Amino acid sequence: MVELADVKFDVEKALEQLPQDIRLRAVDRLRIKSERLKRTGMSKFLLAIALIGPGIIVMIADNDAGGVITYAQSGSIFGLGFFLPFMLLMIPVAYIVQEMTVRLAAVTRRGHAEMIWKRYGRGWGIFSLADLVIANSLTLVTEFIGISFGLGIFGIQPVYAVTFGLLFVVGITLGLRYHRWERVSLVIAAFNLIFIPLAFIVHPNPNTVLQAFATWKIPGGVNSFFIYVLLANIGTTIAPWMLFFQQSSEVDKGITPQDIGASRRDTLIGAFIMAAVAISIIVITGWLVHGYTTANNSYDIQLILNVIGQKVGKLPVELFAIGLIDAGLIAAIAITASTSWAVGEAFGWPRSINLPFMKSRKFYAPGLISLVIAAAIVMIPNLPLSFLNITVQVIASIFMPAAMLFLLLLVNDPEVVGKYRNRAWQNVSSIVIMGVLITMSTLYAISLIIPNLFG
Amino acid sequence: MEHRKIDYSFIKSKEDWDRFLKSEGLYDYEKIRVKRAKVKGWVRFAFWFLRAYVTLMVVIIALGFLHIL
Repeated sequence: MVELADVKFDVEKALEQLPQDIRLRAVDRLRIKSERLKRTGMSKFLLAIALIGPGIIVMIADNDAGGVITYAQSGSIFGLGFFLPFMLLMIPVAYIVQEMTVRLAAVTRRGHAEMIWKRYGRGWGIFSLADLVIANSLTLVTEFIGISFGLGIFGIQPVYAVTFGLLFVVGITLGLRYHRWERVSLVIAAFNLIFIPLAFIVHPNPNTVLQAFATWKIPGGVNSFFIYVLLANIGTTIAPWMLFFQQSSEVDKGITPQDIGASRRDTLIGAFIMAAVAISIIVITGWLVHGYTTANNSYDIQLILNVIGQKVGKLPVELFAIGLIDAGLIAAIAITASTSWAVGEAFGWPRSINLPFMKSRKFYAPGLISLVIAAAIVMIPNLPLSFLNITVQVIASIFMPAAMLFLLLLVNDPEVVGKYRNRAWQNVSSIVIMGVLITMSTLYAISLIIPNLFG
Repeated sequence: MEHRKIDYSFIKSKEDWDRFLKSEGLYDYEKIRVKRAKVKGWVRFAFWFLRAYVTLMVVIIALGFLHIL
């Protein structure tokens, strides 16, 4: 219970008259308004802390289990070269895309799925929602694979590992209301930073690392395999669920146009953390695993960890495994929420993590059902992992340009965002990003038919 | 911040409370209608591009999966 001061107007009574989701959001906003009015150093600090959340969570959750494995493989295959500076390039890319969702959320107070559905009609609404739900469900499978593999390093059987992951995410999703859910998610996300000290523990040559940033060298040159890995890295940096997640999360947090600056900082900090973690993983594997000869240049995560273990011992392997487990958990929490928010927005159901499960079973059901299905799929023996991975990327490749186009239309629509519409430089950079995404996705799709297209 | 006392001395009356709700946008937005966008000009072009892109990708990917399977 929040302690309230004694004044004439009974705020507590007024709060009780609000619906539960709005009441809890109002308490959060009272807290923020109260700190904003104090103007002391401490209150400014507390305000800044209170306003971080969705931006950092979405960016760290983007370094999910699949992302960690992709970065590890990129480092192992290509070493300390092109992919290190490339990750720096991903900071503005991720920021520019996600920042648009911040403005949309603050001005419209509605999620991305709801805006597409209501502004552009049921057809595009169903298309976006179906793509999102399918891609999210398949991505959850990859998160459970990561959790299961990571816990396997500590000798935990897959069935117990997946059950733990399932119960953990269900517990966080159902047991916490938005404010606490966000704070706990931030704490879980913080474990993703474990890769940064690990990159120092393995003692890479600083000159080699710095040289990579200066030269952008592509070992072996551009070929179809390089394009495939490049696409996988782009795909893991900008995923459709991120747009839906951040916009809905900012809405549930209750940000207003006054908070746009703070939310932008939150997103920018998140983008830097995302790149720092990705770079750390590439440094670890690029330094330790690159050059280890394998059949068909095939580096699975088991092999990568075996090589790390052989070269620097058990502790770094265990730290890497903790990072992988955490990556799977934080992404599963975010993706589950993203599915529930999007379905709730599309069908006009009450949709807030501030609502308890018993009062809003419809809201929680889509996320939880997809979570349970994903956990069950992981239990299937001899799961065709590479086919699953291709399917996730293919759906994302069709969906991402569409999701970005809706984002651009909405954020340029004066009826929707008024004075917060995109400036010219934001449109130019967004269109360039979209153009690159469409080109890369199309090349990837064509490479499915003609595998040796690029030599 | 969770355990810090909320100073809501800025809310002294019903009017202040209503002003707070309004400034913070604390409404049920489901009850507020969103106007359907008028699809015209470059937006109409963008939608046709999107339809063509999605159709092309579905065809290419269907062929790709047939190739893989």
